[in-house]
Parts: sequence; C-alpha cells; structure tokens
Amino acid sequence: MSTMLIQIRSGTMMNMDTNVLVKLSQAALDRGHAVKVFAYGEGITALKDGQEPKRFPNVGEILQGQISQGLTLVACETCCHARGIKRGEEFEGSKIGSMTNDLSVFVSECDRMVTLAR
Amino acid sequence: MRSKLFLLLKSPREFSGLEDIAAIAGDADRAAVLLNDAVLFAAQENKLEGLLQVCTEVFVMKDDLQARGVDPCSGAVEIDYHRLVDLIMDEYDQTVTL
Repeated sequence: MSTMLIQIRSGTMMNMDTNVLVKLSQAALDRGHAVKVFAYGEGITALKDGQEPKRFPNVGEILQGQISQGLTLVACETCCHARGIKRGEEFEGSKIGSMTNDLSVFVSECDRMVTLAR
Repeated sequence: MRSKLFLLLKSPREFSGLEDIAAIAGDADRAAVLLNDAVLFAAQENKLEGLLQVCTEVFVMKDDLQARGVDPCSGAVEIDYHRLVDLIMDEYDQTVTL
C-alpha cells in the first residue's frame, strides 16, 4: 500500500481547494492507498467540529466519513492557537498535532506529497 | 531528473507564471493538471497552446469543466479523480502546485 500525503493550506470557505482535497482523498482511498492529511494555516478549519455551510459541501462531515475509511487528519497546533481553535474543538477522529511530531513523520514516510494552497 | 506533475488551481487571470513551470521542470518530463478555475486554460486555445509549450501533456478535471459549463479545446485530456490519483502515485515522481 502506498501513502499519499496531502497538505491543505486553504480554508473550507476560502475557495474550492478543500473540495479538491476531499475528492482527491476519496479517490486515493478507493484505489487502496493510505491517505494522510496535514492541515496548515487556514487549512485547519477543515477539522473544526460543527461545520454547517448552507450552500457548500460540508467538508468536515465528508472528512469524518473518510476517517472511518482509514484517512488520518492532523492539524498544526500553532496555526490552531493563532486562530483561537483549542484542543477539543476538532471533530472526533481528527487530531491537533504539530509540524515537528506529525508532519515531519508523514513527509518521511509518504510516497507522494500533494500541496493544496494559493 | 525526476518527472514532475504540475497542479494548477488558478485561472489564467490569476496565474501567468508558465515560465516557472519550465524553470522548475528543467529537463524532466512534465505534465500539467488543471483543477478549479485553472480549467479555463483548457477553454481558450491561446492559453492552452501556451501551456502545451512548457508541458508535454495537459490533463483537465472533468468535474471542474462541468461545474463551469465549459468545453476543453483539442489537446487537453479530460480526467476524473481516480485517474489523477494514478498520475500522482504511479506515473510521475513529484507534484508541484502553482
């Protein structure tokens, strides 16, 4: 099994990058790849619990479904603190982690890395 | 040289750095994938021609074409997300997002 690492740096309501994220991650899971997502900068909004967009796909809900299929989702702690998102506000199955302890390991272990950013 | 797959997310109005693709790729095999508003590169012949001068192949995401109601010009290959996964994981060594 190969591993795809996706770094998402765009927020859920900024543009369509998070839609690319969830479609790409689902297709990779369908193909039998392991998928790890590291949320950085505005991308950390992807794991905020309680997202309720009115006219856009619910990225949080979709990612939660993908976590149940094996996806790993971790956000940068410093980015969360900067935006007032505290540990415990992430939805179940996701994690507020760090670049040092998580992203560095993901990068060293993945087969391919994709960055989604503006 | 490691082959490179360039992921373009911005429209031709927002992104005009085609020379960056040539510079980053060097002598390596390279292709471009057009996602989000970047699919508009495939809808205008002159924009697509410019891209094909720096990339040997140009792939365009079918979902994003349909969402914008545009048809690709000849020369762009329509793909879905499963094909994109194969390009990333099996057919190119690195991805670069611009």
